[in-house]
Amino acid sequence: MLLTDRDILVCIFQRGAADGLNALVPYGDTDYYSQRSTINVPAADVLDLDGFFGLHPALTPIKPIYDAGDLALVHATGIPHGSRSHFSAQGLVERGVDDKAGPTTGWLGRHMSISTPASSSAFRMVSISGNVAVSLLGADEPLAISNLNEFGFDQDIIDSGYPAVLADLYRSSVPFQGPAQAALAALDELGAANLDAILPENGALYPATVLGNKLLQAGQLIKSNLPVEVICLDSDGWDHHENLPNYINQSLTELAESLGAFYTDMGSRMQSVSVLVHTEFGRRVAQNASLGTDHGTGSLAYLLGGGVNGGQVVSNWPGLAPANLEMGEDLKITTDLRTVLAELLSKRLEGADLNTVFPGFSGPYSAGVFSN
Amino acid sequence: MPIRLPKTKLKGDPASMDLHSLLDSVHSRRDFLKIMGMGLGYSALTATLPGCGSGGGSGNPLPPITPIPTASLEYTALKRTSFGVHRDALNVIQSMGIDAYLESQLDYQAINDGDLENTIQTLFPLTTQTPAQLLVGFPDNIAEVAQQMIAASQYRQIFSQRQLYEVMVEFWSDHFNIHLVNGLGPTLKPEDDRTVIRGHALGNFRDLLGASARSPAMLFYLDNFFNLASAPNENYARELMELHTLGVDGGYTEEDVKEVARCFTGWSIRFPDDTSGAYGTFNYIPAVHDTAAKVVLGNPIAAGGGQSDAEQVLDILATHPSTARFIASKLCRRFISDDPDTASVDAVAAAFSASNGDIKTTLRALFAAPAFRDTADLKFTRPTEYLAGTIRALAPDTAYPTDNGQLFFFAQGILGQLAFYWPTPDGYPDTQSYWANTGGLLNRWRLSFFSYAPFITAFDVFQIDYSNLLGGANTIATIIDALVNNILMRPLSSEDRATMIDWLVTETGVGENESLPSGVSEQVAPGVAAVLISSAYFQLR
Repeated sequence: MLLTDRDILVCIFQRGAADGLNALVPYGDTDYYSQRSTINVPAADVLDLDGFFGLHPALTPIKPIYDAGDLALVHATGIPHGSRSHFSAQGLVERGVDDKAGPTTGWLGRHMSISTPASSSAFRMVSISGNVAVSLLGADEPLAISNLNEFGFDQDIIDSGYPAVLADLYRSSVPFQGPAQAALAALDELGAANLDAILPENGALYPATVLGNKLLQAGQLIKSNLPVEVICLDSDGWDHHENLPNYINQSLTELAESLGAFYTDMGSRMQSVSVLVHTEFGRRVAQNASLGTDHGTGSLAYLLGGGVNGGQVVSNWPGLAPANLEMGEDLKITTDLRTVLAELLSKRLEGADLNTVFPGFSGPYSAGVFSN
Repeated sequence: MPIRLPKTKLKGDPASMDLHSLLDSVHSRRDFLKIMGMGLGYSALTATLPGCGSGGGSGNPLPPITPIPTASLEYTALKRTSFGVHRDALNVIQSMGIDAYLESQLDYQAINDGDLENTIQTLFPLTTQTPAQLLVGFPDNIAEVAQQMIAASQYRQIFSQRQLYEVMVEFWSDHFNIHLVNGLGPTLKPEDDRTVIRGHALGNFRDLLGASARSPAMLFYLDNFFNLASAPNENYARELMELHTLGVDGGYTEEDVKEVARCFTGWSIRFPDDTSGAYGTFNYIPAVHDTAAKVVLGNPIAAGGGQSDAEQVLDILATHPSTARFIASKLCRRFISDDPDTASVDAVAAAFSASNGDIKTTLRALFAAPAFRDTADLKFTRPTEYLAGTIRALAPDTAYPTDNGQLFFFAQGILGQLAFYWPTPDGYPDTQSYWANTGGLLNRWRLSFFSYAPFITAFDVFQIDYSNLLGGANTIATIIDALVNNILMRPLSSEDRATMIDWLVTETGVGENESLPSGVSEQVAPGVAAVLISSAYFQLR
């Protein structure tokens, strides 16, 4: 059961700079084919969306979501931070800033720290990961749990008094008190939630991959009685400097199968769930010698959910002719990713204070991607 | 109150785990925990004193704020320069003094590690092989290479007498990170580990940098093997400046990235189909080198320089002030705190520059810095330190594990810091904000039950001698004091001591100063040990 009128947000970060051009292919742009003469997706192979853009065939599992109006795609997007360093850019995007002088907390962390908590649960914010997502930094003790089904102690350990002693030893002012107490609270809540018994519904079949397993767990969390508000997880391995056609096929297959299964599993719950998929920057338009692409600028974001104005590609397409490229070689950013994030927060998560969440960003605050 | 010991074997013997599926799953991520669905379950891990109430009064009002008593300078120096305080090392540093101890550690070749190295050669022979040798069994040998490389690294961290050297090996392994399971990586990384990282860990930075630049493992991992004049691949050039030398704010431009990439065109490797039989060696290919002039960080690189173009780049980068500052910052972060003071970084950077990148000289400056000498408990240890430190503290006299390191391998997988398994070129993070989270702490707590090794079959691959650790203690109060002294090796606050006494008194129904029946102390000890190594005291350095 959903405890608030807000959507539950699932954020998926594609680590490594995911290519947008071979995912949502601008097959109507002839410069795409001249710049990527041997690593392009032929027009005959794309899943046409609007006569100009078409999906890579590996994205077939999410085409029905687009057709149902629950998937929107924002092309030529990103945060104009100017960095081509993975590590700097991931930090900047997760912080929601375009300059390293901005706040060191994350954009979601800032939102969650000022939004009224829907509960006092330890499960308000969960990174299904070994570490807390940078985008959540600044919020009060988000959980970081690699595998929810392996998080816990047996009753014998609990009965021995071991967790109770730790609760005392990690009392106020002791180093690591925050995460230690959150872990102990989470243990109690998770034990009562019995996630193991929550199975995929509606015939959903998650792929047996890392991302599939994480989205399966996200589905379990949402369907449990734990009052989760935000879930963050990573999709790794998008840094395709070489052999891009082969590697992106694998990566897109995993992404689409995982998202498709999640959408099926959620069923009508999808009315109150928003899923965001994005990366740190896109890849160079032209291919390199290794049949891959180097670091670029603009890329692609995916938005799924019942509150999404789906079935559309949002793109003020800048074009791929050399004269139209960022620094003469990259896809320009025509929609600031923060525009999409701000719209998501304001329309789906009751986010009111966008100036605090995105300092230094003056809008626009909507790209028409979400409904109220 | 009856005291029951866990007798049954853990469900899911870790040794039965399919390593291939483990490695397959971690190829694309650094999260091993799902594997543990087949592995460590804890139903059999009944603590020694089950079923007696709720323990130490967690429902009571919080006691007054009492910081953790500071550890001794000797303890801190050891904890910062090793993989965990070992009883014998603490005795040595207390008798010879911090300076003399650290100087002896810098002179690592004078420390005899022969028995350990012989053991590693016997148990993990693939770690000693060349790329051509490893290619013979490739790709079927990927899992075995990975397992042996990781186990050898763990053995050295736990058992080596050359602790500072091993700390620097880990430091440079992260700095010049290469993901082992990455294409041809399993055939190439073992030699990189031996000749680049271990060969220069306490040597000269320019030599280390040059060896890394020519390392087939690095040339493959960062794609420079396919960097052609006709279509440069910038991957290595960018990371060379961002991660290996200048740092991201070190003053280079996107144009410099392109120019450095051009300088490195033609730096490649001999491939598996190489007819000369020299697979996996460095190979400069003049035909694909960009022969035109370049400019790197304002320095002209004359046309026609060939292979020397990149050597000139390495000279420019190694001696650049940004590099000194970047390396100094990372060293201070490793040895002092996440946010080291400017004075320490300045002093270390100055020593780096003045010595032309002599790593021992650089470390001496760091060890002389007041922030290193006078502070303690500023950092959260990383998982490798937690696991090795647990064994070094609980089992200082143990023989090598009877399972050839399998248990430690899986434990490190849970903790999330397996050697050579960080997928991206920046290496494992070295900050508390990354590691000190809910899941990270919980995993350490779970592995604290290694303290039950004498009583649990699956853990009984190393030896903990509780009678020695207890030293004859046979009351609750003296048991706690003995284990604090011999396992924690740093003082416990009076409040925390009282908490632990209350817990055991409640659980056993025996007064804190009453003598326990013969043999019971050894049964109580593992639970106390687990709490101690789960506490903040043990995580800090």
